[in-house]
Amino acid sequence: MKIAVCVKRVPDMDVRFRIGADNVSVDEGGLKFDINDFDAWAVEAALQLKDKNPGSEVTVISLGPDVVQETIRKALSMGADRGIQLKADKVPFDGLVIAKALAAELKTGGYDLILFGKMAPDSSAGVVGAMSAELLGLPCVAAISSLEIANGKGTAKRELEGAQEIVEFPLPAVLTIDEGLNAARLPSLKGIMAAKKKPLEVKPAQLSEPQLSIRKLELPPERKAGRVVGEGAAAVPELVRLLQTEAKVL
Amino acid sequence: MAERQAKLLPSAHQAPLPLQQLILTEPPDAEAVPMDVLFVGGGPAGLAGAIALARMVKADNEAGGDLGDVQIGVLEKAGALGEHSLSGSAVNPIAFRTLFPELKDKDFPFRRPVDAERVYFLTESRAIRMPTPPTMQNHGNQIASICEIVRWLGEKAEGLGVNIFTGFPAASLFTEGKRVIGVRTTPSGLARSGDPGSGYAPPTDITAQITVLAEGTRGTLSQAYLEWQKVTSQNPQIFALGVKEIWETIKPLDAVVHTLGWPLPRDCFGGSFMYPLSRNLIALGVVVGLDYKRTSDDVHEMLQRMKSHPLFRDLLESGEMLEWGAKTIPEGGYYAIPERRHGDGLMIVGDSAGFVEVASLKGIHYAMQSGMFAARAAFDALKRKDTSSASLKTYDEMVNGSFIAKDLYRRRNMRLAFQESNFYFAGFKAGLMTVTGGALPGGRIHSHDDAEVPREVTPSQPFVPDGKLTFSKLDAVFKSGNATRDDIPSHLIVGPDITPEVAEMYTHMCPAGVYERDGERLIVSPANCVDCKATDVLGPRWTPREGGSGPKYRQM
Amino acid sequence: MANIFAFVETRGTDVRKVGLEAVTAARMFADKSGGGEVHALLLGPPGIAAKASQIAQYGADSVIVVEHAGLANYNPEVATATAADRIKSGGYRAAIFSTSAQGRDLAPRVAARLGVSVVTDVLSFEIDGESIVVRHPMNIGKVIATVAIAAKPAVIAMRPNVIAPAQNAKPGKVENAQPAIDPASARVKVIETRTGGGGKLDLAEAPVVIAGGRGLKAAENFKLVEDLAAAFGNAAVGATRAVTDDGWRPHSDQIGQTGRLVSPELYIAVGISGAVQHLAGMRTSKTIVAVNRDKDAPIFKVADYGIVGDVFEVIPALTEAVREAKKHH
Repeated sequence: MKIAVCVKRVPDMDVRFRIGADNVSVDEGGLKFDINDFDAWAVEAALQLKDKNPGSEVTVISLGPDVVQETIRKALSMGADRGIQLKADKVPFDGLVIAKALAAELKTGGYDLILFGKMAPDSSAGVVGAMSAELLGLPCVAAISSLEIANGKGTAKRELEGAQEIVEFPLPAVLTIDEGLNAARLPSLKGIMAAKKKPLEVKPAQLSEPQLSIRKLELPPERKAGRVVGEGAAAVPELVRLLQTEAKVL
Repeated sequence: MAERQAKLLPSAHQAPLPLQQLILTEPPDAEAVPMDVLFVGGGPAGLAGAIALARMVKADNEAGGDLGDVQIGVLEKAGALGEHSLSGSAVNPIAFRTLFPELKDKDFPFRRPVDAERVYFLTESRAIRMPTPPTMQNHGNQIASICEIVRWLGEKAEGLGVNIFTGFPAASLFTEGKRVIGVRTTPSGLARSGDPGSGYAPPTDITAQITVLAEGTRGTLSQAYLEWQKVTSQNPQIFALGVKEIWETIKPLDAVVHTLGWPLPRDCFGGSFMYPLSRNLIALGVVVGLDYKRTSDDVHEMLQRMKSHPLFRDLLESGEMLEWGAKTIPEGGYYAIPERRHGDGLMIVGDSAGFVEVASLKGIHYAMQSGMFAARAAFDALKRKDTSSASLKTYDEMVNGSFIAKDLYRRRNMRLAFQESNFYFAGFKAGLMTVTGGALPGGRIHSHDDAEVPREVTPSQPFVPDGKLTFSKLDAVFKSGNATRDDIPSHLIVGPDITPEVAEMYTHMCPAGVYERDGERLIVSPANCVDCKATDVLGPRWTPREGGSGPKYRQM
Repeated sequence: MANIFAFVETRGTDVRKVGLEAVTAARMFADKSGGGEVHALLLGPPGIAAKASQIAQYGADSVIVVEHAGLANYNPEVATATAADRIKSGGYRAAIFSTSAQGRDLAPRVAARLGVSVVTDVLSFEIDGESIVVRHPMNIGKVIATVAIAAKPAVIAMRPNVIAPAQNAKPGKVENAQPAIDPASARVKVIETRTGGGGKLDLAEAPVVIAGGRGLKAAENFKLVEDLAAAFGNAAVGATRAVTDDGWRPHSDQIGQTGRLVSPELYIAVGISGAVQHLAGMRTSKTIVAVNRDKDAPIFKVADYGIVGDVFEVIPALTEAVREAKKHH
């Protein structure tokens, strides 16, 4: 099987963010970056399919400046076979621009399966996978939490609100991966060394004009400080009173 | 009811170093990854060594030498470089200049030069300005974050083709006779029982012609090697525990500040430091010798209490604590350095070898320089195709003839002067040593292993953190970035006869709240551990655990 | 004056609350931009047509009903093709969807098919001349972006529970239409929609959400949370990642950065310490209550009201008190 996985380099979310002086970007000083967790699960899904189908090849693609090569190498050290960097000065904000650039590259690859993470925590958009599928004219199943592939067809499960969808689809297809599908394997020491020797091609990204622009970024308003109403079951009457009279939610 | 102890001797309750698991005589796996030179530890010593070696090999190959492809590896237990590195720090740039002669000072990962310095003697309410002792003068030094230094060195190393393996702690040394032939890493994904859980990854075996132990303070494999090969030092190594915080402040700090006195008890060695990293970012902490005299002495609490002193409070009020961390510092100085730091296929560098000068609180430039000397010795050994002890001896010779030995010799009795007597009398002695270049008072002061120093059993003092200026250990550990999984098996070996008094002492000894006393029992929460190693010195022995566990320091 | 398109999400023959939210949002939009028409698209199996009048109640000037036997389950390709075709031919200024599980799949595809961009998880929208300006959280809610959409139509997917469905009766002229492609020809086939335990209120729709964390100590203790939810009568039960990772509750119950984003009137955190990634999923709740035995737990920093205590004592007491309070309604 030929499998492609699109990955994104994202900052660690466990920090207090600062808005840059230009007001439309986040200050990257001191931020630590790594592969998007959802994309790591997508890479793992591809590798598990490769394990089951010897002779398969997993290609990892990322759009962005040269630093994204670190992210591609991480996927290579997990076991992917080759990487492609679509070089661009910055990762565009408009998901359609990213999808178009990725689709242009993916079209030429003859892939049986194209995997994306369901969403990236920085953009928090979750659109690139589905848009790419549409641009490629391929069937798409988004946010899958279980997957089986056999004989050129696949079955997946999607979590809905209070329900689950069981979906069947033919290959080639695009899938976006949700949490719970698998746990990403840690790169082994040998894998890290081998990754250095695997091919990583750099090509210019074909970027179209964006239709979205950021007018400003701001930090959400601080929640007004709350208070501890009391201790133990004895505090319950006071809490209920406050919920009724002050918060008016009861 | 058990008799209450009046005095407690930490060593009586400690387990021995588990040599049988640290020193392996079985051969490595057939699938072992072959390296030529392996640095255990991705701190300043290991990285400087790897960089120096990579450059020497490159230059040699370019000049037509026959070394060919030399695989250099750096093993680091943290998930990413810098995450377990912690220091003050005011750095002497000399090692950077030597390692990177083509770069200028402004290219190095420093925050700002030290200009003004002030030393205070504190009482509970006052701050009395003291003249800065010559040993603490930082003129010409640079304020830096060791995390930033390590990340910067890491980039340089990777650019030179050094293999950096983060998340791979070294668990044991492979040996053949007296020779060290490689390292086994820890497994990951063990369940609390110690059996493989889901996501289990087995240990990796690595062979190396030369292994350089750069494990930092109280290195486990370094201790194991020295004990196994019966290498001694004139005095035992002794340690201080530093607890540090990074604060974002509204008011700027305009000087490097050191304090002595309150809140440290009179018989405690140590003091505090406060450095401006940038206009609104300060690093502050407290450093206290682990030979403290009472079981209730608690270094984390001393730091918290200290912040309420007007000298600190004025700055920190309306600020915010961004990070917290802790680490021990080897303080034995010259006489505590092992008699030899090399063996067949092995060298020991940096803090693991005790190259720290405590009077000036400096260790980073010694660590880097020692790493560079080890690189030189390794390079020569590879060229000669002789990695025996006799061949690697040049490493010790280089260190002995360098400023590392000279500086440490000059200050050789400084810390030890404080071990025996009243702090102020000791201060006078220390002053005398400074002025006379160590000649007076003369002789070697004998020192005691920290664990052999008995402590008075004293009741805990109440400490109520306010969550804004002062913090509980639980809050503090959260701020260290520690996100170790809750069900990790314990890496701590508890010794015999843990009475309630011992348990109580452990709760104060550990800055991260790993130990709690519940009535008569000791409760251990190993996931809280930030690898400071205080426990290894005074309490349950520390052993390597799953890679990526522990703190995630950012700007320490 | 611009017409606005709304996609009404359905499940079987039921209209989902987020579908009504989309119609209400479209109505607000149309009114803000000079009073254009709202055209709502309703897709479903036989029986869905009967829901058209409900859609009219919420402000639709016309309801395009596509009723087909092959649409018993969601059919992504039919929905995408039909919506895109109608939006293109209708010349709409904007097309409103919901950022539900279905909407996350549908809205980007419709946009890509139309050659325009899409903004998901939208908190609010304004019209600014030729641009439509929306607010959308980034960095797991730690940063709010104000985004200008230059595209026409602007494809927007609203965050669930941010727009309350509002009655605003309009003609709702029904137009019966065919699916743009034959449902049988779709390549992706939803062969089954399995509901989880009939009649449970969904997390994104419930006005009250009660979430349980590690502090409950064992899976069976979730009964405490369920009892409290039952006492409220209009509450859904959620969980933290720690608890879903351990398998006590299904993944779909996980509230947090990588799970569900909820924004209820009242959020009660039971035995939850307040890890950052959990807070990201619920910090926009109107009122937050926390019960935890650790007074230093980070959750107390975001809670409007907190009780420090043993959940096994406090929650039953609270359940009883809520039952009493509801009785006197």
